[in-house]
Amino acid sequence: MSQAGENRLDPALSGDGRFLASLLDQDGKTTVVLQERQSGRLLPLAHLQGNQPHGSPSLSWNGRYLALTVQQGDRRLAVLEDRATGELHPMPLPGGVEVQRVSLSPEATRLAMEVNQGGQNRVLVFDLSQRFEPDPPPGQAVRGGGLP
Amino acid sequence: MSVLALSLGLGGCLANQPQPLAGLNRQLQSLGDSNKSPSLNGRWLALITSRSNRTVIDLVDLETGRLMPLPGLNRPDALPLAVSVDGSGTRLAVIRQLEGRTELLIHRPDQARSEPLTIAPAGVPQQVALSADGRTLAVQVSRLGRWQIDLISLP
Repeated sequence: MSQAGENRLDPALSGDGRFLASLLDQDGKTTVVLQERQSGRLLPLAHLQGNQPHGSPSLSWNGRYLALTVQQGDRRLAVLEDRATGELHPMPLPGGVEVQRVSLSPEATRLAMEVNQGGQNRVLVFDLSQRFEPDPPPGQAVRGGGLP
Repeated sequence: MSVLALSLGLGGCLANQPQPLAGLNRQLQSLGDSNKSPSLNGRWLALITSRSNRTVIDLVDLETGRLMPLPGLNRPDALPLAVSVDGSGTRLAVIRQLEGRTELLIHRPDQARSEPLTIAPAGVPQQVALSADGRTLAVQVSRLGRWQIDLISLP
């Protein structure tokens, strides 16, 4: 999925492998790009045209959610883009804790973050199930939807 | 996307932070001196842990909190660099340094078996991601002075 002459890093696949997110290192900027694998078509990411360098992309089952790290001033932040609603959700951490990498569960019910606190790396897991609609595998029943 | 917009978003969401799984996080901290490179997939969390002057791959069952055995994977002479687990927990994609080489392999915990994958054209793997269905592997490879991404279909 790489073009000749470009640097592509840190791949992430949607649960079914249909979408590939990766980092494009170009002109001194590291920017996340999202591609449909079969066609190679690049998909728009409404909120992610700034705050480089981006890092550590991670996709949900159907590619609805994209988690990654972005730069805001001198801080690294974890964010979650919901491609269905077009909203960007920051994942705030306490002061003094800096995110290094993220991993989103395919259903988007949990987010793991590698953080650095006082020079020590740790992995923390967060529950997202009360905050976001899940992105389940195709064919999996979902709750709600009215009367049968 | 502007810095300002992100700042506003951050401020608006502070009251609605994601909830840390405190019990699990305490357990992860107790695994070793430090841990990194999380790969979350379904009920499985794979990560790289440093403990007792060794660096190993751990696989945690998030439903039971159990640390799963990984027979044959964590060799004392190997240094794991990256790991990714599939949604069933039956495949781990691993990049490690062993005997001066950097290699990519698929480990199957239920079979206690590791199978090296050949990278062609030749290159040095750095980062790896398995799809949740376990059918596709994406690998960041250093090749001819550039970083590229190889996609590999798995049987």
